[in-house]
Amino acid sequence: MSVQDNKGVIIEQPLVPTIVETIDIIDRTPDVKSFLVRNTDGSGVPFQVAPGQCAMISLPVGEAMISCTWQEEQEYLEFAIKRVGLLTDELHQIEVGQKIGVRGPYGNGFPVEACKGKDMVFIAGGIGLAPLRSFIKYCFKNRADYGKITILYGSRSQADLCFKEELFDLWPKEPNTEVFVTIDNAEPDWNGHVGFVPAYLEELNPSSAGAIAVVCGPPIMIKFVLQSLEKMGYSDDQVITTLEMRMKCGIGKCGRCNIGSEFICLDGPVYYLRQLRDLPPEW
Amino acid sequence: MKEITNKIQAIAARLFDEGKIDVFLAWEKGELDFQTKAYAAWNKDDVQNIIFNEYTIYNTANTLLKFRDTHERIGIAVKGCDSRGVVRLLEDLQIKRDRLYIVGIPCPGLKDPLAAARNYGGFNQVKEEEGLAKKCLECIQPNPVIYDELVGPEQVPRQPLGERFAKVKELEQMSADERYDFWEKTLSTCIRCYACRQVCVACDCRTCIFDEMKPQWVGREISTTDNMMYHLVKHAHMAGRCIECGECERVCPVNIPLMLLNQKLIKDVGKLYDGPEAGMQYVEGNKPPLSVYRADDPDSFL
Amino acid sequence: MKVLSKSKLSAALDNLSQQNEVFVPMQKGTQSGYFTWKSFAEGQDELRLEALNVYQSPKGVVLPQTEKMYGIQSQGVEINIDKTYEDDHPTIIFGARACDVKGILAMDEVFLTRGYEDSFYKARRSANTIIANACYAPGPNCFCNAMDVNSVDPAGADVILRDIGDSFIWEVKTPKGDAATALISGLLEEKDAKAPTPQPFQRQVEYEGVAEKLKGMFEHPIWDKLSQPCINCGMCTYVCPSCYCFDIQVKMWGDHGYRFRTWDSCMFEEYTREAGGGNPRGASKERFRQRFLHKLEFFTERYGTPLCTGCGRCMIVCPTDVNIVRIIDAVKEAD
Repeated sequence: MSVQDNKGVIIEQPLVPTIVETIDIIDRTPDVKSFLVRNTDGSGVPFQVAPGQCAMISLPVGEAMISCTWQEEQEYLEFAIKRVGLLTDELHQIEVGQKIGVRGPYGNGFPVEACKGKDMVFIAGGIGLAPLRSFIKYCFKNRADYGKITILYGSRSQADLCFKEELFDLWPKEPNTEVFVTIDNAEPDWNGHVGFVPAYLEELNPSSAGAIAVVCGPPIMIKFVLQSLEKMGYSDDQVITTLEMRMKCGIGKCGRCNIGSEFICLDGPVYYLRQLRDLPPEW
Repeated sequence: MKEITNKIQAIAARLFDEGKIDVFLAWEKGELDFQTKAYAAWNKDDVQNIIFNEYTIYNTANTLLKFRDTHERIGIAVKGCDSRGVVRLLEDLQIKRDRLYIVGIPCPGLKDPLAAARNYGGFNQVKEEEGLAKKCLECIQPNPVIYDELVGPEQVPRQPLGERFAKVKELEQMSADERYDFWEKTLSTCIRCYACRQVCVACDCRTCIFDEMKPQWVGREISTTDNMMYHLVKHAHMAGRCIECGECERVCPVNIPLMLLNQKLIKDVGKLYDGPEAGMQYVEGNKPPLSVYRADDPDSFL
Repeated sequence: MKVLSKSKLSAALDNLSQQNEVFVPMQKGTQSGYFTWKSFAEGQDELRLEALNVYQSPKGVVLPQTEKMYGIQSQGVEINIDKTYEDDHPTIIFGARACDVKGILAMDEVFLTRGYEDSFYKARRSANTIIANACYAPGPNCFCNAMDVNSVDPAGADVILRDIGDSFIWEVKTPKGDAATALISGLLEEKDAKAPTPQPFQRQVEYEGVAEKLKGMFEHPIWDKLSQPCINCGMCTYVCPSCYCFDIQVKMWGDHGYRFRTWDSCMFEEYTREAGGGNPRGASKERFRQRFLHKLEFFTERYGTPLCTGCGRCMIVCPTDVNIVRIIDAVKEAD
């Protein structure tokens, strides 16, 4: 596999964060918030992030690798962050105006060029929609470059659905686009689909002809979705997913995020299923 | 020793034949004569690999700890110190007594394979003594304290109890500043490899405080502060629990005299609680003094 | 050729120490490793240039076990990075064996290539000169010859010392070596000398084909058996001259503090534990396998050379007799 270089951008001190300002914080679910950041002098974003790339976010208490869910031109970077650990706990308590550290961009990002002309099937679960959203929004921004767009998203409950406005109002209005949402268990005020993502996917059965499926979610969901896609005739070259491992440096040095000889922070996190088949089954 | 090896093998083979065990824990030979390692025999064919020799010093109770979440019925060979480890694990409810068939070996005192490895390895300028290991010279309990079957004649403890805390007393004679300097200097060399923790049978916490990250109790810097914090917290946890197997000190790659800390605590706990030492006998339901609260617990140090 | 008489060794180390921090293999109390010549206490410490090696490798000179990265000030909503600690003071590793030099070359690959240069490592490494000590008498655990290392002509050395009894042949290899040589030119003599004859390796290890074979052995039952004795301490990784994995942590006192990195070990459960609690290498066997695959397969796949340098240290210190040579053998013998 080819080594992903740093897009030719020279970073003098890759392990030292740039301090940015939080310009807005949006509650997405009870335990997911979006943080919008830009340079402290208001002059734009600290670096350019391609869809699917990540950044290391830090407060004094710690650092964590977070996928960038959207870069709005030169206005801001958006990170949708679920509260799971030391840093994210702390982040969920900050207020607008708080300075935070960011370093990046890290990782290879989605193959947006290679997917041009294809029908796109996005399949996400839980907070897994955050990384996919950067690709989804990129497709809408460059609508003519992509064919039919199908979005399938599931979460445990209604409350846990991220980006509700986009899911229910904005995206369904886009041309040649279908959005399907499901939750794990029935709820009184829910009229939509109930059930797990893999089963719903097989029920919807989006055609594999000329399509690319992009999958992101909890490992167990990914596992079963990949099986479903295979059943539905998607080849290993038509399926893209993202991997997650614990990361510290973000630049392929500190050692812990490897799967085989790949460092997920640097060479990933985005992989075609064909590439994953070559790796030790640790993902 | 060969005789003891034969007997252990025979017992293990018999236990497999009788269907009484699924695995037998002991030692096997390594590449060279002085090399030995923990061994799990899974069937009668494996039994021939079991050995007991002058280098089988590793505490088999620590091997047992790897089986706390499984369901095998386990045969286990124990020396005196190992047997105290087994008692600790029983007391801490890490393993059930009825899963175990314990083969006790009264221990004649063993040599340290690591000292032999260092001498052999060629890095040492001066050869280390290869007599009885330090921990064996100081052993107070060569005979197993718990067993279902005993192999070989009982041994006499090698050191008269009177001199047992000589080094500790020396340290106690120092002024607080001198003592602090001593420990600061001694613990500053620690490389935080955690071998002393990993090899310790009394360290049976599922998540060790030093691995807790949320919150992080002890920093991971190699600094006097963090090193001291590590050792003091670790050893304080050993109070009333250390079975004096000496493995921590034996394996330390930078030769920190860790048993000094343990012995100080053994001495103090003995004095304060007037109780039997850790793992000296198994009484179901029994707990070490610092694992229980009693209204009349000593509190003069508060 | 240039020759440094051993009677002038102290003077040479003094001279080199005027502009450099010079790290020399020593026995210092109970510690055996690389310490600064300035800290050398006559009569107490022992120089170990004639020994086969010391227990702690010199990797800490370029990758200290704990290294400050940058200072943090935090007040209210403000956070400032007030200082970064790239350390470029000149250092010399004096007397490193070829296996240990190879360890540093492996770290060069990691820290200075593949897209990013690690600025902290680069600062130290750029200012670092390696004066290697050619090895003519391999020890009983040595197998560097099988791991892409030339024990008498170590790649990566700026100067190579060759011990000829009462003196060292001083062989300059690079401009950095020239600069170091200039500092002691008055102490070097020009004369004919013959390098010693290398003695054969006592251990025969065949690494050829192992990386390729391991690629198909991730799920092989061999790992259950091999990992059984391992207690997952980090000793092997910390004495290893090429294990480089690190953790990034922080120390804060109220509103100020610093972030630092510190050696970490793939042997520790916490190493890969994710924020949500999951752990892809939660089991002892998985961590054991990771270490040896990293050494023998993954690094070779990525960088073209194994991450084991054949120094033999891990085989000496392992409390449970895990032996990388036996693992190589076992892999070769496996079905």
